[in-house]
Formats: sequence, structure tokens, C-alpha cells
Amino acid sequence: MAKKLRSLDHHTQVRLIPSYVLVVTWAIFTFVLIGWVFFASFSTSQEIFSDSMFKFESGFHFENYIRAWNTQKVSVYFMNSLMYTVVSCTSIILIASPAAYVLSRFKFRGNLSIQSLLASALGIPAIMIVMPLFSLVSRLRLTNNRWLLIFLYIAMNVPFTTFFLLAFFKSLSTTYEEAAYIDGCSPMGTFWRIMFPLVQPGIITVTVFNFITIWNEYFMSMIFANKPKVRPVSVGLFNMIQAMRYTGDWGGMFASVVIVFLPTFLLYIFLSERIIQGVTAGAIKG
Amino acid sequence: MKKNRTMIIIFLTPAMICYLLVFLYPSIRTTIMSFFAVESVSDPISTWSFNGLENYRTLFNTAIFRQSMRNIASIWLVGGIGVMVTALFFAVSLTNGMKFSKFFRSVIYLPNVVSAIAMGTMWINYVYNSSYGLLHDIFATLGMTTLSETLWTGPDKLFWSMLVAYSFGMVGYHMLIFMASIEQIPKDYMEAAQIEGANVFQRFFHITLPFLRGCFRTNIVMWTVFTVAFFVWGQLFSPVNLSNATVAPMNYMYEIVFGSSASTTTVRDSGAGAAVGVIMMIIVIIAFSATNLIVKNDDVEL
Repeated sequence: MAKKLRSLDHHTQVRLIPSYVLVVTWAIFTFVLIGWVFFASFSTSQEIFSDSMFKFESGFHFENYIRAWNTQKVSVYFMNSLMYTVVSCTSIILIASPAAYVLSRFKFRGNLSIQSLLASALGIPAIMIVMPLFSLVSRLRLTNNRWLLIFLYIAMNVPFTTFFLLAFFKSLSTTYEEAAYIDGCSPMGTFWRIMFPLVQPGIITVTVFNFITIWNEYFMSMIFANKPKVRPVSVGLFNMIQAMRYTGDWGGMFASVVIVFLPTFLLYIFLSERIIQGVTAGAIKG
Repeated sequence: MKKNRTMIIIFLTPAMICYLLVFLYPSIRTTIMSFFAVESVSDPISTWSFNGLENYRTLFNTAIFRQSMRNIASIWLVGGIGVMVTALFFAVSLTNGMKFSKFFRSVIYLPNVVSAIAMGTMWINYVYNSSYGLLHDIFATLGMTTLSETLWTGPDKLFWSMLVAYSFGMVGYHMLIFMASIEQIPKDYMEAAQIEGANVFQRFFHITLPFLRGCFRTNIVMWTVFTVAFFVWGQLFSPVNLSNATVAPMNYMYEIVFGSSASTTTVRDSGAGAAVGVIMMIIVIIAFSATNLIVKNDDVEL
């Protein structure tokens, strides 16, 4: 039997050759795509154009990064984005997990409707909500306000996060609450001290996911943050690329691209399993 | 019970405020706005004047809007088929005993975590560049001069170049959804079929596909949601003005509501912009209900 299974396995590997060819080609293409930008970011504009980029005849040009970081204001965008994502991701969890807990634990009228409302938010296109928000914000004179941007990032991601965490709370046994009740812990205390720490795996997954979403968010940021001082990286990068076409500083432009994608890229290298879990868990329920 | 009630209210209120303020209220206001003549998006309601379906009529009489609808229809159908077939192929391959499947899975999903702006820049400035780009080099090495000299981002190829670049990044997401469902198929089915001598194709059509019905629904709905939100790639491939090749409804709406400074061809019309939003919402609702029906009908047959 063992022999038969092994020969089956061998057979499978042979039959999978076309799959290997395609998957490996796809993977190489992805690496070449990202690798090229990485190499280009250390080259001079002339080298990029002359096809002799990979030789690095004039050495590695780290000054591309320094130029991008200082003159092209990447530092400003980067720090903005860092602040926006960290504050929003934390607040999202503080708002979404109590809601998810209550929805998963208590029977009350409207519970199911609220759950489907939250799930439906995933299908509401940004184009549907942006106009009233803009008119409200401009009447309140809040455009180009950091806290407004953070509020939008939070509010746009709370429904999905709540929906995502619901399943995690549902899977916890009610004996925790019973024990806590007997020991005289209040329901709210039980939540923060016992239940909240127990869903930590779910919280980490969804936070990594939210981090990537907010870091890369473009449409809303473009509309609500048009002053360079408050721009996040995605909008900053787009404007930089447009400007770079005229200044001709290609090395600096690719350095900016690398700086912008490096945080999510590194996060992905270390946490790809979690991110993948997040995608599949969220999608299956949706 | 009384205590629980206060707790429910306290715990639920912040999340509900987020939803009401950012999703429900704006959706309702956009829908109402789409039936009124509104010039600037920040005009107070008192200046709106009711004009029924006029905004919708204007939209469908505008050539560039019709073009944008044709573009997303092509993206949805052609791109959708391409992405789903590739994603399903990868998902089946990677769950079929391939070595290093976790590594390949991570690499294929990778473009999804990188900012679309960064991905687009790589495609435009590297892959499609006609003097030192990847496609140029590959075709030049193979001696195919006509192909190597093709201007991939020239006006006649722009749409398809954009669609390929966009779809490349989307494959990973849909592949993950397929993989998650395939992994839930009981292993015994596959092993039994394999020992009985069913080949790859028989196993795929008789075991894998029937199990994936619900998963197709998710993928189609999500693909539709992504398609109506198509914006960044259109802007990247035609950064200055709206062009027929790359315009999507959202780009058009942005132009007539928020108006980029470079454009002089379009007039401000926020009522029509709202109508674009409503049309996009309706497309999502149709996709959702249609796929729901298909899955339900299939369940009855089982």
C-alpha cells in the first residue's frame, strides 16, 4: 500500500509538470517585476534607460533614497500614513470588538438585521458614499484635517472588522462568562478582561489586514487630503510620479515606490499566513 | 437583563454610528441626489431642483459615460473570465500535492498587498516600456522585432495593457478563495477517485467543481464589487485627461463632481455623479441577487 501511494505521488508530480511550469513562470515574473523596481531605485536615470542597469557600473546610488525621502517629501507622506494607520487600526479594534461580542452573545431584536447590514457594507462602493461625505465635510470645513481622515479610515473598516470578529467570539465557550459571573465579575469587565484577550489571534489577523488596506487606500484620501502636508503615501506617490515625469528623476521615483511598498511588503513576508487566513475567512462568510 | 441592555447599547453604539454616518446616510442621500439637478456637490439641499430621471438620461446620452460602461463590461467579462480561469487553475494545482505550494501561494497573492499605484508604476515604466521594458527585451531576444517594437501603452493597445496589468494582481485574491473551498472538500473523495483511476480532469469536473458553487458566488460578487470600484488603474494609465480607452464610471464621476484641473471638456454635474453611484450600486445588487438565485436553484436540484 505504501509503495502504491508513493508511486501515485510520483505520478502526481509528473502530471503536475504543466502546473509547475505556469506557477513558476508566474512567480518569476512577480519577482522580476518587484526586483526590477528595487534595482532601478539604486541606479541613475541614464542607466535605467540604457539597459545597463544591472551592472551597477557607477555603484549603488543610495542617494536616490535620500533625495526621495527629503526633497520629494516622502518622509512627510510616510509619517502621515504611519500615524493614520496606527491610530485607525487601534481604534477600529476598540470599536469593533465590543460590537462583535455583543452581537455574537446576546439575543435581541434586530441582532440579525444589524449583522447583515454590517456585512452589506463590503458591497457599498466608495462612489456611493463619497459625495454626501464630501459635502458634509466641506460645510464643517474639515477638509485636509488629519482627524477627519482617521475617522473615515476607522468608520469604513469597522463594519467588516466587526463582521470578521463575530465568528471568533461565537467560537468561544460560554463557560468563561459563567465562571466570571460566579466570581462576581461584571459583564463588561468579563469582556475586557477575559473575552477580549481570548480572541487575540483574530484581532491580529484583522489588524494586519486593516493595516494593509488603510496604508494603500487611495480614493478617499485623494478626495479628502489634497494638501501635501496631510497626504498619505498612496496619494503622495501618485502626485510624485506625475511630477517625476517632468523632472526626469527616475532613480528617485523608483526609490519612492520602494519606500512606499516596503512596509506592507515586509509585513507580508513575516505574516503572510495570517493575511491569507484573513482573506479566506472574511470571504467565505461574505 | 436590564444590565445586559445597557451593555448592548454601550458596546454597539460606536460601531453603529460609524455605519450610519459613513454608509447608510451617504447612500440614502446619494440616491435622493441622483433625482435632482445639483451643480456643485456641496450645494445645500434648498438649491436642489427635482428633475426625475433626467440625470440618468443625460448620462446615457453622454458618449464618454457609455464608453466607460462598455469598458467596465469588458473588464468584468473578459478580465473576469481570465482571472477566474487562472485563479482556479492555480488553486487546483496548488492543492493537488504540488511542492512548495505555500510559498507559491504567498507569491501569487503578493501583488494584493502592494499599493496599486506602485504596481501600476512597475507595469507602465518597466513591463510595457518600449525601449528597455520586459516585453521589449523578451521579444527582442526571440527575434520578434514587430512585437518588440510594439507600443504597449499606445492608444490602440492601452485598454488591453491596462486590463492585463490589473488582472495580474487580482488573480491571487480569487485564487485564495478557491483554495479555501477546495481545502474543505473531504480528502477521501479525491483519494477514492484517484485509486479508482479517475484522471485529473474527471476529478476536477465531477468532484471539485460541484463543491465550488458557493465559492463561485463569492468570487463573482467580489469581482463585481472590485469592477465597479475600478478607478486607480484608469487614472494611472491616463493620468492627465479622461481617455476613451481607460475611463471607468468612477473616473467619469470624479471628473464631473470633483473636476480635475486639467480637464476643460466636462462640466460640473453632481446630480449626474450621484446617478453614476446609484447605477454602480444597482450593478452590485444585481450581481448579488443573480448569483444567490443560481446557488439556491442548484441546492434544490441536489
